[in-house]
Amino acid sequence: MVPEGLYYTKEHEWTKVAGDTATIGITDHAQEQLGEITFADLPAVGDKLSAGTEFASVESSKAASDVYSPIAGEVVEVNSALDAKPELINDDCYGQGWICKARITDKSGLDKLMDAKKYEDYLKGL
Amino acid sequence: MEDYTLAGNDSIGKFIFEQSVAEPAPSALYDQHLQLAGKSHIVDFAGYLMPLWFTSISAEHEAVRQNAGLFDCTHMGILEISGPDAANFLNTVATNDIDNLEEGKAQYSYILDTAGNVLDDIIIYQLERQRYMVIVNAANEPKIKAWFDSLLKGKAVIDTEQPARKLGANPIIRDMRNTKSGGECSVDIALQGPKSLEIITGLLGDKSVLNKIEQLKSFHFIRAKVADVDCIVSRTGYTGAKIGYEFFVHPDKAGRLWEALLDAGKESGLLPCGLGVRDSLRIEAGLPLYGHELAGPFNISPFEAGYGWAVKLEKDFFIGKTAMKQNSETHNMQVVRIELPGEKGIRPVRQNDGILDKDSKCIGYVLSCAKAGEKQIALAYIRKNYTEENTPVGIYYPARNKKQLENGKKKSVETGDLLRADIEGKIISRFARF
Repeated sequence: MVPEGLYYTKEHEWTKVAGDTATIGITDHAQEQLGEITFADLPAVGDKLSAGTEFASVESSKAASDVYSPIAGEVVEVNSALDAKPELINDDCYGQGWICKARITDKSGLDKLMDAKKYEDYLKGL
Repeated sequence: MEDYTLAGNDSIGKFIFEQSVAEPAPSALYDQHLQLAGKSHIVDFAGYLMPLWFTSISAEHEAVRQNAGLFDCTHMGILEISGPDAANFLNTVATNDIDNLEEGKAQYSYILDTAGNVLDDIIIYQLERQRYMVIVNAANEPKIKAWFDSLLKGKAVIDTEQPARKLGANPIIRDMRNTKSGGECSVDIALQGPKSLEIITGLLGDKSVLNKIEQLKSFHFIRAKVADVDCIVSRTGYTGAKIGYEFFVHPDKAGRLWEALLDAGKESGLLPCGLGVRDSLRIEAGLPLYGHELAGPFNISPFEAGYGWAVKLEKDFFIGKTAMKQNSETHNMQVVRIELPGEKGIRPVRQNDGILDKDSKCIGYVLSCAKAGEKQIALAYIRKNYTEENTPVGIYYPARNKKQLENGKKKSVETGDLLRADIEGKIISRFARF
C-alpha cells in the first residue's frame, strides 16, 4: 500500500506537502516491520528538523525505530493522540497515524525524495 | 564438524569457541510458514529462517494462555548419546544427576566448561537403557558439538584441581536431526496451552494412548502415533503452560504433523506461534534464555538464575564443579521477575535498563522484558538483598538514540548510580505457571 501524491524516504517515512506545510509519518512497510507499536516518542512544537536526521522514535515490544525527517523545517503541530494510542500508526499509518506537521524552511530537499512509483520499486528491491 | 573453529580450552578452563557465520537455512517447516506468515516477518534466528510472528505477538500470547499455540522448534539441536558409557559421560558433562532418570523421563540440566561457565542449558531424555536424547539450544549447538568433540579427543582439561583427570567415557554421539546419521531421527514441534490435550485427542487412533497422555506427568514422555505419525510425546515446554507437549518426530514427517495439529486445533482457537511470542511467554513464566538470564554479559550462573536444584554439588564430580561450589556460596546477585505497567503509550522496558531501589540507587539491570496483557514482565539481575516479593523498584531507561542523549539521558547505567525512575514496579514471584 503506497499512496500516490506523497514523498517517501529510504528509511520508510512519508511526507505530504501542502503549501509550506509537510505532514510526516512512517509507511505501511515500516509499521508492518515493527509489529504492534506500543510507544511513540514524539517531537515538540518548535523543534527544528533537518532532512535525514532523527526527530522521533516508535517502539514495539520487539524493536525500537528512529524516525528521520524527510524535510528541513520546524515542527508546528504534533499528533498527541499517539501518546495514548500509538497503535494508530499500525491501523492507519497514512491517516490518523501521522506523527507531526512542520513548516518547511527549505524546499530544495524534496527533489531527493521518492515518489510512490519509485518507492514501490525500492520496496520490491529489498 | 567443519562449521566451527576449535580453540580448545585455555589455562583457566574457559572453553573458547568461535562460530563461523553461515547463510541461514530454511527451517524444516519453512514451506508451511511461507503459507501462513508474511515473508517480511521471517527472520534469521540461530541460522534458521523462522517467523517472528504469524498473527501478532499479543494474539499469539493470548492464544497460548487461553487456548493453545503451535511452535516450530525444529531448529533446536538434538543429540543422541548412547553406548555403555552414555550415563557416565552425561554425569560428567552435565550438572544434574543422570541416575535420577529412567526410561520415559526427562531432566533439566547444564553443561559447564571447566571454569564453570554455562555452555548451555539442556534437557536430557532417557530413551532406553544406555540411550539418551539431549536437546540443546539452536544457537549453542555448534559450540556443544565442539565441546563434546574436544572432550572425546582428550583435548580439554576437565578438572583444574586435578589436571590429570581423564573423561574415562567413550559414548557414541549422533546428530538426531541429520537424516543421514543412521538410526532414529527427530525434530521438535511444541503444542502448548490449556487446550493442548483436547487438540491431540482427535488425532490418536488408540484410546489407551489417550489415557497414557492424560496421565503423563511433567518431564515424562511416551511413544505414540499422532495423526498416524510415529513420535515421542513429551510433557515439556518453554511457555510456563501447565498443559503442553513437545513432539519429537522424523524431520520428513514434521510438516505432516504440523498441518494435522493446526487443522485439529481450528475449533479450539489454536494459533501457530512465532519466535516473538516464544520469548514473551517464557519471560512471563520466568524461564531463562541462554545469553540473557544464563551466561551472557553478566556470566550468570544456574544459582543466580534460580536453578541451583539442577546443579548436584553432592555428585563426586562433574565438569565445572569446583567453580559451581564456590559460586553457590558466594554469589550476591540474583535473577528476579518484576511486574511493571504496560498499557499502550508506556515505553517498553528493555535489556540493560537500570533497576533502582527506593533510594533511587541502581541495583541491577533488566535482562529481558515482554508485554503480557496490560502489564510488562521483566527479568532482571539485581543485588540479592532486594529480591523479596513486593519490594518496589524503579526502572531507568537509558538513552536509545541521539535525541534522548541530548535531552540528558545517560547512555548506560552502572550499579551504584543515583538516577530518577521513569516508571515503577515491584518484584513478584520468581516463576509463574498458567
